[in-house]
Amino acid sequence: MRVGLIPPRINFEGEILVRNTPKRKPALLKLLGLFAALAMIAAACGGAEELADTAADAAGDAADAAADVVDGDEEEEAMEDEEEEAMEDEEEEAMEDEEEPAEAAPSFDGQEITVAVVNNGATDSIQRFTPDFFTADTGLQVNFLELPEQELRERVTLAAGTGSAEFDAFMIGPFEAPQFGGVNGWIQDLTPLAEADDDYNLGDLLDPIRGALSLNGELYGVPFYGESSFVMFNQEIMDAAGIDFPAAPTWDEIAEIAEAVDTDDVAGICLRGLAGWGDLGASLTTVVNTFGGTWWEANADGTPGEAQINQPDSGFRAATEFYVDLVQNFGEDDAANSSFPQCLELMQSGGAAMWYDATVAAGFLENEGLTGNLGVALAPTGPAELPAGWLWTWSFAIPENAPNTAAAWEFISWATSEEYINIVGENDGFAAAPPGSRVSTYENPDYIAASESFGQTTLEQIQIAMPESPGTTPRPGLPGVQYVGIPEFQDIGTRCTQEISAAIAGQQSVDAALDNCQAIASEVSQ
Amino acid sequence: MYQQVGNGLLVQMICEDFAQARKVIRTYKGAVTTEISNVDTQVSSVGVDPAAVKAAERKERWLRRIPLLPALIFTIVVTQVPFVIALWISLNDWAFLTPNPIEFVGLDNFTSIPDNGRFVDSIINTFWITFGTAFFSTVIATGLAIALDKKFIGQSVVRTLLITPFLTMPVAASLIWRNSILDVRFGFVNFLLTSLGFDAFETSSSPLFTVLVFSIWQWTPFLMLILLAGLQSQPPSVLEAARVDGASNSAIFFQITLPHLRPYLELGALLSSIFLIQTFDAVDQLAGGAIGAQNIPFFVHQRAIGGAFQFGEASAFGVVVVIASIILATFSLRVLSGLLDGDDL
Repeated sequence: MRVGLIPPRINFEGEILVRNTPKRKPALLKLLGLFAALAMIAAACGGAEELADTAADAAGDAADAAADVVDGDEEEEAMEDEEEEAMEDEEEEAMEDEEEPAEAAPSFDGQEITVAVVNNGATDSIQRFTPDFFTADTGLQVNFLELPEQELRERVTLAAGTGSAEFDAFMIGPFEAPQFGGVNGWIQDLTPLAEADDDYNLGDLLDPIRGALSLNGELYGVPFYGESSFVMFNQEIMDAAGIDFPAAPTWDEIAEIAEAVDTDDVAGICLRGLAGWGDLGASLTTVVNTFGGTWWEANADGTPGEAQINQPDSGFRAATEFYVDLVQNFGEDDAANSSFPQCLELMQSGGAAMWYDATVAAGFLENEGLTGNLGVALAPTGPAELPAGWLWTWSFAIPENAPNTAAAWEFISWATSEEYINIVGENDGFAAAPPGSRVSTYENPDYIAASESFGQTTLEQIQIAMPESPGTTPRPGLPGVQYVGIPEFQDIGTRCTQEISAAIAGQQSVDAALDNCQAIASEVSQ
Repeated sequence: MYQQVGNGLLVQMICEDFAQARKVIRTYKGAVTTEISNVDTQVSSVGVDPAAVKAAERKERWLRRIPLLPALIFTIVVTQVPFVIALWISLNDWAFLTPNPIEFVGLDNFTSIPDNGRFVDSIINTFWITFGTAFFSTVIATGLAIALDKKFIGQSVVRTLLITPFLTMPVAASLIWRNSILDVRFGFVNFLLTSLGFDAFETSSSPLFTVLVFSIWQWTPFLMLILLAGLQSQPPSVLEAARVDGASNSAIFFQITLPHLRPYLELGALLSSIFLIQTFDAVDQLAGGAIGAQNIPFFVHQRAIGGAFQFGEASAFGVVVVIASIILATFSLRVLSGLLDGDDL
């Protein structure tokens, strides 16, 4: 190419003009030069960048992971021994603490721990209360790393799986706890710590929640709060429409009510439509369960068999068609981008008449927006007439390589204690207290009074959840209601819900979404 | 004028006077050659054997390379070593989330790439995002650059404001677009649309369009800067002469200004394409990873730490992407070096 970056006039008018170049031009051109240089670098590194990320992580941790993996079977045996030893050690430590309870607290003076938490209202509260009510007593400094759910999962999975000492404790849910702890050996069994801690009152934890965090009787996470799912509605809107809301509705009844109360300004129902196994995936899977559907058949050995998604008579198809129809006709605007936070805001501002989502939301609504105006009903059931609520808990776990297990336990035992629930209740009102983790919460007169409209329904919904057998057919993998307890599910679930979310947005038909989803789910069929 | 060989040379090489720059280089080279030959003459005159002369030459060459070594080693460590590791990982089945051992599977990860129905879509989306944005940004940037080339009151303020989108962090900009501008309930755009009686715009129903609009907004200023530099280097006398000859404004634009801008347009389009092919923020944050907008970087992220944790598979996708990028980059660099090679006129 003959035409250059040199302004042509240099070529036909010689150098004299060059010296007359306006002063600001070199500045502009220098900037241009800088960009050019940057671009060269970018071009040279190019696509290698993402790879470098992946590979660097991978490389750094390849050794550890390989070691973990290679040990495999041996490790399990070895681990039992180690754990027994560890248990004894920890018991001794705990004993020491017990001997001088008054002195136990200051023993963490000057120490600090790093804890990764999900970003929601409940974890905002704990960050607010920790300095005054925890650090002031124990001297233990707690550094929080607050992340959105998806980023939290990425960071925690990498940290746990590579044995990094980045976090002393982090938040996980029942999908991860048994897999990370019981199967992969990435996180510690907390049973010995909890049993050795007299103040902890392990027996006070709600059984279904404790069960969801355990594998073979070993507890891998302690619940910060627990939840199921049910229907919340705006009592005023229902009264105005003359609707007597059923206490245990069916999905057909919900669809009728949604149609009756839907207007241009108020959505008949708010449902999750945002892609993600923990977003749309959670809501949709509970509907699939009660429509008699499943993601996969279960093989005899518990592995996933044939995917059951796009067959003409599958419950999955019926449930998805129903769900997409409902949210498209009477759901919120831009439903494919909406999940818990959007629906919460919509309910609080009166933009939606009802909402099927996590029970924990009832406390937020009672506290703000729908005070005295909140009604709740059990999770709607479908043709299979099964209790449909999900079961989830954000809980704290301690990684296997935690740098300071004793300090981590000191914090997470406080954060999940009755004492902490009371601190939140006394400062922010009991409606905002972390629900669904302890029996004592539901026996606390203050909590009962504050949660009159939703407390007992929440408890009932949590207790009737059936993670062992959430549907009509046996499920592959570990127990789980709104997810399938196989590690591949977070990938399959997310990609499938991307397809279904696109159907909700009108980008493709439900048939196409289900066909694509069938192909995706079939990747792990055995 | 060209006292500082180091700094000045670079700047001139990239943007100013190549003839002069060459002269400087030639002088420098000449000096070095003379010096070396002086050494040679001295050495040979003393009567040392030719092998020793060669060794001395080799030593001399290495001495000159030593200052470059740290940069070279750094580049190798941060780009090439990870790539080689990724190559190896791509030959293995590494399901990070399970306790299964890492297993060597040969080329399985590569042969299964076409099975993933969305990979082809992600290539198509990458194409649209890259070249669609480069094209429309260039068109808009040409208009803005021409407008800014004229003198008017507040010119510098307007120019600064126009550059701002490029200076904003892409992630932050994506989130602001998603939550404050395009949100169906609180977004400014939808506030305007609904108050004028139109239907609200839902990003989820046109994710690719949303990403395109955002990227065009973000990349136009960059192209505008390049084109403005081009316009300001246009000799006023030529335009004057054209006007005296009675050329219409459109004729001046299409027959004089545009040909003059050609190298700048090519450079801008190439550079922005190289950046745009890596777009991730807008796809992940603004479009929420909707399948309609998923591009290759998002796709590879999702196969790796974005949920799948299938490092073998993700590396295989990554390797394919790198090979494609190298082809594109080679092509781009050839055109670029052609552009920079302008003093053969």
